[in-house]
Amino acid sequence: MAADALPVDVSRPAPAAAGGPQRREPPARPAMPPEQAGRTRSGEPATFLEAVSEALWEEMERDERVFLMGEDIGAYGGAFKVTRGFLDRFGPLRVVDTPIAEGGFTGAAAGAAHMGLRPVVEMQFMDFISPAYDVLTNYVATSLYRGAGPLPLVVRGPVGGGARAGPFHSQNVEMAFFHTPGLKIVYPSTPRDAKGLLKSAIRDDNPVIFEEHKGLYRAPRLRELLPAEDYAIPLGKARVALEGDDVTIVTYGLMVHRCLEAAAALAGEGIRAEVIDLRTLLPMDEDAVVASVQKTSKLLIVHEDTRTGGIAGEIAIRMNERAFEWLDGPILRVAAIDSPVPFAAPLEDYFLPSTDDVAAAGRYLCKY
Amino acid sequence: MDDVRYHGFQARALEASVRDLVRTGALSDGFAEFRIDPRGVVVACAMRSPPEGGDVCCPGPLSPGPALAFGATPLEFLRCAANKGTAVASGRAGGRSWTDLRRGLLACEGPAGGMTQVMAGVAFAFRRRGEARAALVFEDRTAVETGRWHEGMSFATALQVPLVVVLAAAPGVQASALDPVAAAANYGLEAVSLAGEPLVRVHEHVVAARRRAVEGGGPALLDLGPPGVGDDWSAEGFAAQIGGGEPAGPCAARAADAAVQNAVARLAKEPAPRGADALAPVLSDASVLPHWTRGDPAFPGRRPTQGDDDRLAPSGPGTPLSTTTHARLSSASAADPRLRRTASDGR
Repeated sequence: MAADALPVDVSRPAPAAAGGPQRREPPARPAMPPEQAGRTRSGEPATFLEAVSEALWEEMERDERVFLMGEDIGAYGGAFKVTRGFLDRFGPLRVVDTPIAEGGFTGAAAGAAHMGLRPVVEMQFMDFISPAYDVLTNYVATSLYRGAGPLPLVVRGPVGGGARAGPFHSQNVEMAFFHTPGLKIVYPSTPRDAKGLLKSAIRDDNPVIFEEHKGLYRAPRLRELLPAEDYAIPLGKARVALEGDDVTIVTYGLMVHRCLEAAAALAGEGIRAEVIDLRTLLPMDEDAVVASVQKTSKLLIVHEDTRTGGIAGEIAIRMNERAFEWLDGPILRVAAIDSPVPFAAPLEDYFLPSTDDVAAAGRYLCKY
Repeated sequence: MDDVRYHGFQARALEASVRDLVRTGALSDGFAEFRIDPRGVVVACAMRSPPEGGDVCCPGPLSPGPALAFGATPLEFLRCAANKGTAVASGRAGGRSWTDLRRGLLACEGPAGGMTQVMAGVAFAFRRRGEARAALVFEDRTAVETGRWHEGMSFATALQVPLVVVLAAAPGVQASALDPVAAAANYGLEAVSLAGEPLVRVHEHVVAARRRAVEGGGPALLDLGPPGVGDDWSAEGFAAQIGGGEPAGPCAARAADAAVQNAVARLAKEPAPRGADALAPVLSDASVLPHWTRGDPAFPGRRPTQGDDDRLAPSGPGTPLSTTTHARLSSASAADPRLRRTASDGR
């Protein structure tokens, strides 16, 4: 098992199987100054949301060029309160409440980035990034290639289903941008990763789409103590969330935890699954996947995004190119069904990939 | 005004030369109707006139007139227009404008209205840093019909950024039924119609709008209206409108014409980009994988074998490279273009 493996469950009850991965506790952080009231208290483990907030705060303290833009992020503190208290500390020219016009303020962020600033744009829900699709894909992503220089900007916000929020507040947007050269896409699964990856994204000279699954934001069992020191996790490097040698499960985001639950269930049947948390989708750490497939010879890809055109297809063809001769079975995928995200709980539960789905697929592959 | 006169002369000479280059086939038919609106030159010169400088301009549909006023050379424009390998983007982007932030130029990319958003962000950066600089964006008048333009104006107004928006009817574009000045009034902006105004008055309005914007008065909109000068606008007529000393006129005209003729002569000698130049990075820290089928020789995907990673170059025909090796080669090729044609990756 990897030393920094995760708790196996998030918002759902822990699986019956005992002996799940244990969390390594990093040293406690120093006490927070009073002006950071409302954020992580001294010594307490951080939630995913608090980790995101800390990353933003620390980067703004570290680099005067970093500023935030978004709807209601100032006085209101953001729809999920990620930026609560930021306006008082950094002022309205670094915590910019924008008009409700995602395309407009994302375009403005690009202009500010041209001038040497490092904007971090918050989408209230990532579903709302679609009005900014034009400027992100046509202007921002092409900037370096067409000689206009790199554009260091981050677009971050909540994604994902399970919140009973229906089709307009539950989408995963990674594949809408995955096909666009010139962008990076990050999708963390733990508080520690969220903070370290967001810091790297802000420091990166390229535009980064940063997805935060809202089901992870306040999940109590995900709380973990974060390193006291400044740390950043490099983009493009996957993480072995659980070591195994019978089947490789490649996933990211909240699905990491579903897969760890499934792996725990499979472990009870004698199947040792290896769970790879991609962390960054673009650029993808395909070497990590190849290395795992070389060990297990079986590959299952799991994502919460819908099935058709999902990232599983891309991973499958890359492994076909690079690891075909190691495979002893078909490459399989578990994903959401090809429909909009439904509203009612029974429908959404059916729509989303479940732990049982992952376990069933893993079981099938190992018997193949 | 000498500066204005010089750039006006230069624009007129360039306009004539571009038409000649189209006739000879050196430029595509897309430039057959090429015009330079002298008002764009005047506006840009007015933005450039303050001693502190440092403004940023997106020439938009009036390029290259404003770009010339911001210090671009006719040769740079012709390289871009002719997709030469020596152009800023080596043919990866082209048309009428390009980015050169040292001179305060941002290329116009994307549909009408989009650059108003971007330039609002440029202006925000100036306000955020407390700099006495302003952003200038030219848009076609039809931009007023787009949501993009309104979102940009909404941001600029809400943040009170130093942005000067200049609308002008681009050649060949259908006129909008909307009144830009009335639209701007909805934002509480200072908006002025300059249609039919003499060039000197245009210059004065731009100087005033810029000053007001830089001093915290927020964005301004200037509507130049339909083209005010026909195809046969003359450098002499332009100079007469601008005014100034008579002796400087002929000298400036000769100097401007010489610069354009030199650029035209030079253009013919400059190379087109190579196909492999398409492998320029799209990310600052990653290279683009070439076609594996164009390796020497080509080979399909294969798994790496022992020792592959130790080879930094093929030892002979048929020697494949591992992906890791390719990554190294790709990284090296970013620095040395000669390597691009030899790298093959096994994909």
